[in-house]
Amino acid sequence: MTSPVIRLENVSKRYGHTQALDRVSLEVPDGVVFALLGENGAGKTTMIRILTGFVEPDSGSASVLGHDASTDSMLIRQSVGYVSDAPALYDWMKAEEIGWFTSAFYDEGFSMRYLELLAAFDIRTGVKLKDMSKGQRAKVALALATSHDPRLLILDEPTSGLDPMVRRQFLESMVDRAALGRTVLLSSHQISEVERVADWVAIVHKGKLRVCEPLDSLRSSTSIVTLTMDDSSAVVALPGGEVISEIQNGRQMRWVVKNLPDDWQSVWGENSGATNISSVPATLEEIFVAVCDDRARAAQSVGVRG
Amino acid sequence: MFFSIDPSGDAPIYEQIVRQVKLAVADGVLVGGQMVPSVRQLAAELAINPNTIARAYTELQNDLVLEPLRGRGMIVRRDAIARCTKARNSLVADGVRRALADAISGGMTADELRDLFETELKKQTPAPE
Repeated sequence: MTSPVIRLENVSKRYGHTQALDRVSLEVPDGVVFALLGENGAGKTTMIRILTGFVEPDSGSASVLGHDASTDSMLIRQSVGYVSDAPALYDWMKAEEIGWFTSAFYDEGFSMRYLELLAAFDIRTGVKLKDMSKGQRAKVALALATSHDPRLLILDEPTSGLDPMVRRQFLESMVDRAALGRTVLLSSHQISEVERVADWVAIVHKGKLRVCEPLDSLRSSTSIVTLTMDDSSAVVALPGGEVISEIQNGRQMRWVVKNLPDDWQSVWGENSGATNISSVPATLEEIFVAVCDDRARAAQSVGVRG
Repeated sequence: MFFSIDPSGDAPIYEQIVRQVKLAVADGVLVGGQMVPSVRQLAAELAINPNTIARAYTELQNDLVLEPLRGRGMIVRRDAIARCTKARNSLVADGVRRALADAISGGMTADELRDLFETELKKQTPAPE
């Protein structure tokens, strides 16, 4: 067993009245693509800033690659790659100049790999960063973040607002990192992209970690159950397992359920008034919405377990 | 061969890959002895996690469709076509079973279904000259 690449233990952080992170504990295993999902303001960026040592947690501890995030942040920043949604680059430099500048912090192979990546990303040399498109600048940032072959690459919504071709390049880069056995921490809103590349998924909602498990097992253990009631004012029993959300639409009920038992249909007997009972696997998007939709969950508290 | 992957489809991605490789062998798009792309190549081409591709290849190996060729990579087994044809037929059977279940629970009668089946069959098979 290799030790986790990232470990958070009971990390909390408060900004004024906002609890940005609330006792979050998680571990990111070595060599996986770990996706962090959450609404804007859910606490994803705070988590990343704590990991890279830019923000001190109020309580709890964080470590990256075995280094403590609050005391060894220099070591961490040297051994990871990081791309944010708005990378801060020296505008007046050309792509090759910023590579040369950055190479001073890393090993000898950096410059060589950087130039290879620029070529692969189709970035022309001799152009100043301020004269580049947003997509090209993002690719320069990605090249800078991966040329020292980091064991961990952190991407914080790197492709928001970028065109499909650039997004594709980022995806290919992540896939390539994973093929080399490196770890990628990806914070993203592009759920379809996460479904393609992620091994693990964590969902953060209002500062709390709500889901953290392999994507495979999350999807195979989560179902959408629908049924039709004989009357729209009727009430039917809740399905077994862990009901994440409940939505009613006229006579139809729809639940997102985790760990649905094998005999799940037996809850609704002959005289329950329930018909057209069905269950299908949930998509990641449906799981995400169910976890983050507070309105759909409020209904649960008045439901009666059968 | 070309893959068409639906990341949010009902079937997990590795299963979609397994299924599409089997269909390609059954249809003669992939032939015995032919090499398939390496895990890394296919991962990059489809922008899919390499662990997922590796899992699909392992399953295809267990199902005796692919085999490793020393120093080369993974090739389609020469005896895979019979198995893949069988696999395709059972996929078709699954599809028919699902459609039937839907139709019956929706209240269609056996005669209506028979008529529908015959009409569709006639439409989709060329009439004898």
